[in-house]
Amino acid sequence: MLDSFLAGLSVVLQPMNLLILTSAVFIGFIGGALPGISGVILVVILLPVTYGMEPTQAFMLLTAIYGSTVFSGLITAILYRAPGTPEAVMTSFDGYPMTQQGEAGKALGIGILSSAVGGLVGTIALIVCTPLLASVALKFSSPEYFALAILGLTVVASLGGRLILGLIGAAMGLFIATIGIDPLTGVSRYTFGNLNLSEGVGLIPVIVGLFAVSEVMKRSLDGEVHQPPTRVKVKIFDMPILRKIGVTLSRSSLLGVIIGILPGIGASTAAMVSYSETVRWSKHPEQFGKGAAEGIAAPESANNAAAMGALVPLFALGIPGSGTTAIILGAFIMHGLQPGPLFMMTSADLIYAVFAGLFIVNFMILAFSKPFIALFTRLLNVPYSVLGPIIIMCCIVGTYSVSNSMFDVWLMLGFGVLGYLLEKIDFPTVSIILGLVLGPIAESELRRTLSMSQGDLSILLSRPISATLLIISVVLLVAAIAVPLRKRARIRATASRS
Amino acid sequence: MSIKSCLIAGATGLTLIWGSSAMAEDTSDFPAGPLQFLVAAGAGGGTDNFARTVKPMLEKTLDTRITVINLPSASGALAHQRTANSKADGHTLDFASSTLVTSLAAGQNPTGLDQLTPVARMQSDVMTLIVDPDKYPDFAAFKAHAEANPGKVIIGGTHAASPDRMAFLSFADASGLDMTFIPYDEEGSVAANVMGGNIDGMFGEISSVLSYMESGEMMPILVFAEERLSNFPDIPTTVENGWDLTDGNERGIFVNAETPDTIVDALENALKTVYDSEEYQQYEERVNLHYREGWLGSTDYRQKLEENYELYKRLLENT
Repeated sequence: MLDSFLAGLSVVLQPMNLLILTSAVFIGFIGGALPGISGVILVVILLPVTYGMEPTQAFMLLTAIYGSTVFSGLITAILYRAPGTPEAVMTSFDGYPMTQQGEAGKALGIGILSSAVGGLVGTIALIVCTPLLASVALKFSSPEYFALAILGLTVVASLGGRLILGLIGAAMGLFIATIGIDPLTGVSRYTFGNLNLSEGVGLIPVIVGLFAVSEVMKRSLDGEVHQPPTRVKVKIFDMPILRKIGVTLSRSSLLGVIIGILPGIGASTAAMVSYSETVRWSKHPEQFGKGAAEGIAAPESANNAAAMGALVPLFALGIPGSGTTAIILGAFIMHGLQPGPLFMMTSADLIYAVFAGLFIVNFMILAFSKPFIALFTRLLNVPYSVLGPIIIMCCIVGTYSVSNSMFDVWLMLGFGVLGYLLEKIDFPTVSIILGLVLGPIAESELRRTLSMSQGDLSILLSRPISATLLIISVVLLVAAIAVPLRKRARIRATASRS
Repeated sequence: MSIKSCLIAGATGLTLIWGSSAMAEDTSDFPAGPLQFLVAAGAGGGTDNFARTVKPMLEKTLDTRITVINLPSASGALAHQRTANSKADGHTLDFASSTLVTSLAAGQNPTGLDQLTPVARMQSDVMTLIVDPDKYPDFAAFKAHAEANPGKVIIGGTHAASPDRMAFLSFADASGLDMTFIPYDEEGSVAANVMGGNIDGMFGEISSVLSYMESGEMMPILVFAEERLSNFPDIPTTVENGWDLTDGNERGIFVNAETPDTIVDALENALKTVYDSEEYQQYEERVNLHYREGWLGSTDYRQKLEENYELYKRLLENT
């Protein structure tokens, strides 16, 4: 493993590849920092560009962009309370108050350092855990994938927001997933004779519509005003602060990796969970939301660690851990590679070069972020009336290019309107994506399982991995329902006592 | 002119010679502009590679520019539909695999062989039955196990209307073995399940399992061919077992059915020049498609497709 990594490192350190990584980091910086342009869209836009490249270079570029967008979302989140990426939403909770107190430089420094630490922890986990997971991947067959998909779906319960809305969203996603030709029998479902629907509704039109387009609509309709910032001086290494956030950094990074590895859950969730955990473990929970250093360190280290963790199931099992990795998965197929349980065996050279690239990228983020932020404070002065249409144009081109289909573009715009309306009622739109991604896996793997066992359901419990995963899902579900119920009962008890 | 030339072609059977002389007279203005390749598959797959390999060679032969567009939706049905609705001037070419005819037989592709004219077949991959050699050392062992356990042997494949499903159906039909078929989303998952011992075997092209044969994880134990392949003399064939099964995945080029014959012939000749070139033959060898002659001219290819369509339709109706 170490020699594979070193071999990968020697590939990465070639001048051409270093140049690719450097440009990827800058593209990622710009895209991540521009509100509305997320890693998903950047990767989609750059897909056709990478088609002419060698696979190794193409995936170093795409994964490096992926890594650096997760980082740079924090800049606008801290400076303007306008998170550049969904992952950076939590960062604005404590980052923006710090800026208001005139300590933007300090806040940005904490964010940059936390991102790099989280990213490094995640990358190391990726290098160490991926071959491990890949070696057990062959034990995964239909019953295990079904159990895994069920485990992923239980996350709806911890997404935050109202549980009933989360369940409705997941059901919507599951429904959308049934559209198209049934892969097992070849029967058309809900296609109404339209050929465009026979392959089903693509993930990209839904994600781009629900997140990017709805965001532009919201911002345009809300008429947001930017305030030009004063000079910002960033300090990354600050010993007293480092001592203060050390524990938070290590806990959030690990939590981020674990959440990231679970398929179907992205860096945004990791940031939210680690933020709430940090508040729970803190001795001064009252400081959060008013500019606490830990409040920046927790989500930033977690989301970067989770972004790397999400690559583990992608490389080891061929299942995407998040929206962006789902597109990277598609990119692998576009390049004629076969992601799946055999990927680590068949494409080891490529994968270790990508790992080494990600390792280097974390240091590049540390090195390049300061000059970039200085540059960016000027770039952000572009008014939203100019930026918004550019983002919409990127969405249209990106969606069209996936399968050269105008139908997908209309679908994407339709989901944009839907997403805008759903955000108005605080609907957890992520749950729709969860259902859409995991629905087909759960459905067809269950049916394959039953074909394998000739209709006997006990196969799910007689295989150790699927049994374990199913039991964990049940425990999580029960806990998600029982804990709030008990809390409510306790509140009611104290209320009646007083 | 068109009917007359058909009669001449049919009578003499010298399509190629006639085509080249006709081209000199009537198609001096073909191509009149850039061509468009519609690939009935996603970027990166076998059919896409095929189209993108042919592109520069055909550009040179016809002295024109070509753009490649991937239309993977609906197993390529959109590409067939768009070709059938294009201007009948031979400037829109549909690059398709056997999935065109399998999906047609399964009723998933509304563009029939009456709306498209096959120009040529250029690739004919060899279908094989692939197993884990630790489980079944050879075909005799597999057959014995399948006979002793009717319905228990599980064969994996890609979707329900795929060439490998047709291979399964025609094999089960000819051999009389009772087996179960499970479709997966991608070939990689099927391979993983074969290697992990979760299923008993799969049908697939010989070109795709070469790396696994080297590592001993998977092994073809039966080839769908008349004669044993010279590169793999130890693997028995379907024909020597008394089963007339020789179909594999084939890849060819289609145009709108209303395209004038002179233009179809001009295209066929140009593609034949490409096919015979050393550059193209080297590509076939690189991707292991050289085990069997790939070329079939327009008339022969149409006949082959129609036979396959009838066979697949019958097999699917029996399930």
